[in-house]
Amino acid sequence: MKNLLKLLSPFAPDQSGAAAVLYELGGLMVICDAGGCAGNVCGFDEPRWFTKKSAVFSAGLRDMDAILGRDDRLIEKLSKACEQISPAFTAIIGTPVPAVIATDMRALKRMAEKKTGLPCITAECTGTNYYDSGSEPVWTELFKTFATESKPVQKGRLGIIGATPLELSIISPERIAAEYKAKGWENVICYGMGSTLDDVKNAASAEKNIVCSAAAVKAAEYLKEKFGTPYEIEYPQSCLPEELVQKADSFADKKVLVIHNQTAADAVRKLITEKSGECHCTAATFFMQKKELSQQGDIFLADESDLCDSANDNYDVVIADKTLRRVMKNFSGEFIDFPHFGLSGRLLQGESEKI
Amino acid sequence: MTKAFYITAAELAQKGKDNIPDELLSAKHLIYSSPATLAFNSPGAQGFGVKRAGLAVPNSVMLLVAPACCGRNTTMLSAESGYGDRFFYLLLDDTDIVTGRHLTKIPKAVEEVCQSLDYTPSAVMICITCVDALLGTDMDSVCRKSSDRAGVPVVPCYMYALTREKRLPPMASVRKSVYSLLRPRKRKSDEVNILGYFSPLQEDCELYSLLKGAGVKKIREISRCESFEEYEKMSQANFSLVLNAEARYAAQQMEQELNIPFIELARVFQADKISTQYRLLGQAIGAEFDDSAYYEQTMALIDDFKEKHKGLCFAVGEFSNCDPIEMALALIRYGFKVAEIFGTVGERNFGFVKKIAELSPETKIYSNLSPTMLFYEPDERVNVYIGKDCAYYHPDIKGADFNDEIQPFGYAGVKKLFCDIEKALDRKGAEDK
Repeated sequence: MKNLLKLLSPFAPDQSGAAAVLYELGGLMVICDAGGCAGNVCGFDEPRWFTKKSAVFSAGLRDMDAILGRDDRLIEKLSKACEQISPAFTAIIGTPVPAVIATDMRALKRMAEKKTGLPCITAECTGTNYYDSGSEPVWTELFKTFATESKPVQKGRLGIIGATPLELSIISPERIAAEYKAKGWENVICYGMGSTLDDVKNAASAEKNIVCSAAAVKAAEYLKEKFGTPYEIEYPQSCLPEELVQKADSFADKKVLVIHNQTAADAVRKLITEKSGECHCTAATFFMQKKELSQQGDIFLADESDLCDSANDNYDVVIADKTLRRVMKNFSGEFIDFPHFGLSGRLLQGESEKI
Repeated sequence: MTKAFYITAAELAQKGKDNIPDELLSAKHLIYSSPATLAFNSPGAQGFGVKRAGLAVPNSVMLLVAPACCGRNTTMLSAESGYGDRFFYLLLDDTDIVTGRHLTKIPKAVEEVCQSLDYTPSAVMICITCVDALLGTDMDSVCRKSSDRAGVPVVPCYMYALTREKRLPPMASVRKSVYSLLRPRKRKSDEVNILGYFSPLQEDCELYSLLKGAGVKKIREISRCESFEEYEKMSQANFSLVLNAEARYAAQQMEQELNIPFIELARVFQADKISTQYRLLGQAIGAEFDDSAYYEQTMALIDDFKEKHKGLCFAVGEFSNCDPIEMALALIRYGFKVAEIFGTVGERNFGFVKKIAELSPETKIYSNLSPTMLFYEPDERVNVYIGKDCAYYHPDIKGADFNDEIQPFGYAGVKKLFCDIEKALDRKGAEDK
């Protein structure tokens, strides 16, 4: 039966993806829910919650708020919190409750901006989609809202777009900054992780952007169109698991299945090709696929039954988050763990120690 | 700079329960889900939220019928608590949440879940969320159809965060659900149920001995029922003891449907109030409880503790097995200082606030859920805490989380509290050396 999970738990939802983009930028974020969704975002999908304070709040909706559509009360609470906290901007993130009652998020945005005098970003999340579909419009909206001015390009300044714990299974950008500094970039700005809203405002200064998740491609396209900043889609190699990097040179004559987000799977393909000269690797994902990274034979997994059918003994090696192993009853080859926080809530080795 | 909002006990008592400041009322502001509060401010979060509580029925499984986001934190619950094989999910898409068409899929999903197991579950608990609250779903009807199709009892659990302040909030509702499978039986005069928690009382709780001394031969708690057959025997109890007000509605349901009356006791930490409760319980069941030895042992333990640890100043939080207002009052009456309380004030505990105002007027009361708690700065007078939320606010001092799954109650609960604090302070003493 489609959409019936018997072995897996649900993956990170769209509201978590939207919140992850804005988490470190000094805004006041309201999860438009009754309490449970904000609890999930903060307590489970946002590992930075335990190391870095951020003004993420629940709207605390009650049944009569939803039934009567009392948006004015929400804006009143938002305004009061703004007086107490003085944020740089506000954000309102949707959940199933506003989705069911068809809340007009654009109207909420207008009301919030009028009441607080601050820019407001809204995300029309429904809780039924995965985190990447929540992140994608917010990445774009973030740059459209704040990266409005042209600035002189600074040589050696590199922008990284798309880095969230959900995508990269890390909570801070050190390993990414080190990787690209080693490649000669002097100033590596990882938007939304270890950087500020001013860095977003200065996005036009970047010499180049690296897009590390499919959800950020549209934002990079916007910056290219607006400021002429070129971009490349690339998952940082420093975010690949050590075991995989060590074994990649032995996969030349093996059939490999990588199950992850699309950019990560593509990075594995490149790594194997680079280390062993050739690669028979299929990428499978539950998440969004961009045509720029797709290859013939790549697989979209609609749910766990698709995974059960796909991961079989046609492959010698499967590289995926180990949470998926229990679904692969028809696979008996080598399994390499590649944590994927948006799927299992597991961080890369060395990251959970930071919490 | 903004400061975390607080009000002193004296100021709050003077305002009265009808004029509690908005900052202390969660319905009046945005809600801050700080790490201090995650366990209790969302009906599906850590600890015994609705999902885990629904599985209190032995040998049952749960089908969560909801958008994927509602089941997300169950990943953690499954991994950490060994529930991985008991949770199943029917995920709703955008069309489902608008049209309600998912309701027609549930019977087939229940059947498929049962077929996927190598045993027959005692029941399938169907957990539904805010979406169905808004759609006005008739879940009883869906459960009947599902039961007919799968051949097992199917019970609804309502994880309706939207109704948290209503007459039947989610955690009260789920207690009704888990006892709803009981069917009338011939009652036995020497059997008693304890209702209220999803994990057992501490083994050394004097309530067991007092009841046995009064002739009770069998005391049942749902968490101690190892099989469905044992659970079913809860319907033969002579009466139920309700130790948590959230179980009151379940007890009323048992009274109506199984003819089992109930008596309600509160979990308090003031020894004289515990004694009063036992006296009243004895009168209600026609027995005389002699709790004097327990009372004296408890007071002696507290006196020894006070003698050993002078100058303690407490912070008391609500992420713990107590009402922090009552706990603070108990500590103050035992002769300790309480500088801070992190809790929810309402009609239920306002009487305690008034007593604290008389004895310790400067005690500060904070709401964990206020957005201003982003700016909380620790009170330097505090040198010991109770509650896991306080552990977050006061990372540099020692104290007792006091939120074990095994439930403290009565004199044994008071003794456990002071033993836990003693251990924490001894650890600190050892570290300081």
